Amino acid sequence: MSKLQNSNNKKSLGKTRYALLSAAGILGFLAIWQALVMTGIVQEKYLAAPTEIIRLFFVKLTDTAPDGNTLPFNIIASLRVSLTGLLTALLLGIPLGWVMGWYRWVDRFVTPLFEILRPIPPISWIPLTILWLGIGLRAKAFIIFFSAFIPCVINSYTGIKQTSKVLINVAKTCGASNFVIFLKVGIPYSLPITFAGIRVALGNSWSTLMAAEMLASSAGLGYMILMGRAFARPDIIVLGMLVIGVIGALLTGILEFAERKIVKWGGRKQ
Amino acid sequence: MKQKNLFLSILYTILPALSVVCLFILWYSVSNQRPDLIPTPADTWERFLLTFEKPIMRLSFFEHILASLRRVITALMFSWVFGILIGTVIGWTKTGRALVGSVFNMLRPIPPLAWIPLITIWFGIGEAPKVLIVIIGSIVPVIVNTQSGMERVEQLYLDVGRVFHANNRQLLFEIALPSALTTIMAGIKTSTSTGWMVVLAAEMLGAKSGVGFLITRGMDSGDTALVLVAMIAIGVVGALLAVLISLIERMVCPWLRKK
Repeated sequence: MSKLQNSNNKKSLGKTRYALLSAAGILGFLAIWQALVMTGIVQEKYLAAPTEIIRLFFVKLTDTAPDGNTLPFNIIASLRVSLTGLLTALLLGIPLGWVMGWYRWVDRFVTPLFEILRPIPPISWIPLTILWLGIGLRAKAFIIFFSAFIPCVINSYTGIKQTSKVLINVAKTCGASNFVIFLKVGIPYSLPITFAGIRVALGNSWSTLMAAEMLASSAGLGYMILMGRAFARPDIIVLGMLVIGVIGALLTGILEFAERKIVKWGGRKQ
Repeated sequence: MKQKNLFLSILYTILPALSVVCLFILWYSVSNQRPDLIPTPADTWERFLLTFEKPIMRLSFFEHILASLRRVITALMFSWVFGILIGTVIGWTKTGRALVGSVFNMLRPIPPLAWIPLITIWFGIGEAPKVLIVIIGSIVPVIVNTQSGMERVEQLYLDVGRVFHANNRQLLFEIALPSALTTIMAGIKTSTSTGWMVVLAAEMLGAKSGVGFLITRGMDSGDTALVLVAMIAIGVVGALLAVLISLIERMVCPWLRKK
C-alpha cells in the first residue's frame, strides 16, 4: 500500500514538474520576445513587444484604426463567413460521404468527380468564385465550404466503409432492412472517424478564411492583418495572428466537447 | 439472379465513365451559354497552347510550374528534416515535450497563411520568405505525426530492447524511430499537400512567377481561360506529387504494401 502511494506521489510530482516546465517554456518564449524588442535587437517596426500587444488588444476593442473596423467587428465578420461555409459543408458533405460509402452505385458515380476536383486547392477557386458570386459573404463562404467539404466527405466515407461485418450481419439476422442498418449501424459506427474529419474541416476552413479575406474583403481578421502589413503596423499583425490562433483553438475545444457528448462510447482512442 | 448480377456489374463499370462524361457535358453546355462565367473547353485548350507561344512574365508555362515546384521542394526538405527533429524532441523526451511542446502548441493554431503579412514585413517579398511560409505550413503535420508516433511506440518493444541492454541511442534509432515510421510518413504525406496549397496562396498574394501568380494574373486581366488552365495544372501537379509520395512511402515502409 505504501509503495503504491509512493508511486502515486512520484507521478503527481512528475505532473507538477511537467506543468512547471511547460509554463517555463511559454514564459521563456515570451520573455525572450519581450527582451528582443525592448533591447532594440529587433526594431519596433518589425515586431511589437508582448506587453504592447496586450495594450493594443484593449485599445482595438473600440478603436477602428488602421483598418476601419473594431476588433469585435472583425471577429464577428470572420466567424460569420467561416461558420456559414463550414456548416454548409457539414450538412452536405457528411451525408454524401455516408451515402457514397453505403450505396455502391452512388460511390461509383460520385467518386470519379470527387477525385477530379479534390486535388485542386480551394484557394485556386477564388477567381472563378469572384466571377460567379461577387466578393460578398456568399463567395467567401463558398471557398470555405469547398475546403471543409472534402475532409467531411472523405472521413464519413472511410468511417462507414469500415463498419464491422459482424454488426451488419447481426442486424440482418434480426430482420433489419438495408436502410435501417445504414441508419442504425453504419452511421453510428462511422461517427468517430467522421468527427476526425470535422476537426480537419474546421482547421481547413479557418485557414482558408485567411486567404479569402486577404484576397477579397473589407472586414475580418485576415483583412485586419493584411492592413497591418499595408500600414507597416506589426503590432496589429501579431494581435490579429494571436486572436486568430485563440479563436481557432476555442472552436477546436468546442468541437471536442461536442464529440465527447455525442460519441459517448469513446470511439476515439487517445 | 445471375442476369441481375451481370447487369449490376456492367452498371458499376459504366457509372464512373458516365459521371466524368456528365461533368464534361455540364462544363460544355454552361460555358457555351454563358461564356462570361466559365470559358469553354476549346478556349481553355487554346489558351493552354498559347502559353507556349507567348510567355507570361518572360517565363513559359512549364517554367512557372517549375518555379512553384522548386519553392515547395526546398521548403519540404527543410520541413521534413527539422520537423522530424523537433517531433522527436517533443515526443521522445519528457523535458522536451514540456519546454518545446508548450510553445509549439501555442503557435500551432495560427494558420500558416496568417503568417504571410508578418513574414513579408520581416523579409520582404523575395524567394526566401515564400519558402519560409511554406515551411511554416508544412512542418506542422510532420512534427505532430512524429510526436504521436514516438509517444505510441509499443512499450513491449522498448522493454525487449532494455532487456538486451540497448542504450538510449539504440532505443531511439533502432526501435522507436522505425516503429514510428508509418506515422511519420503519413505526416510527410499531409505536409506535401499542405505545402502545395500554401505555396499557391503565397504566390497569389505577391509573386512574379509560379502557378499561383498565373491565377492572379488571369484574375487581374480578366483572362478566365488562363485561370482555368492554371487550376487544372495545379490539380494535376498536386495529384502527381501525392502519387510520388505514396511511391516513396511504399519504398520506406514496405510492410504497408499488403494493404
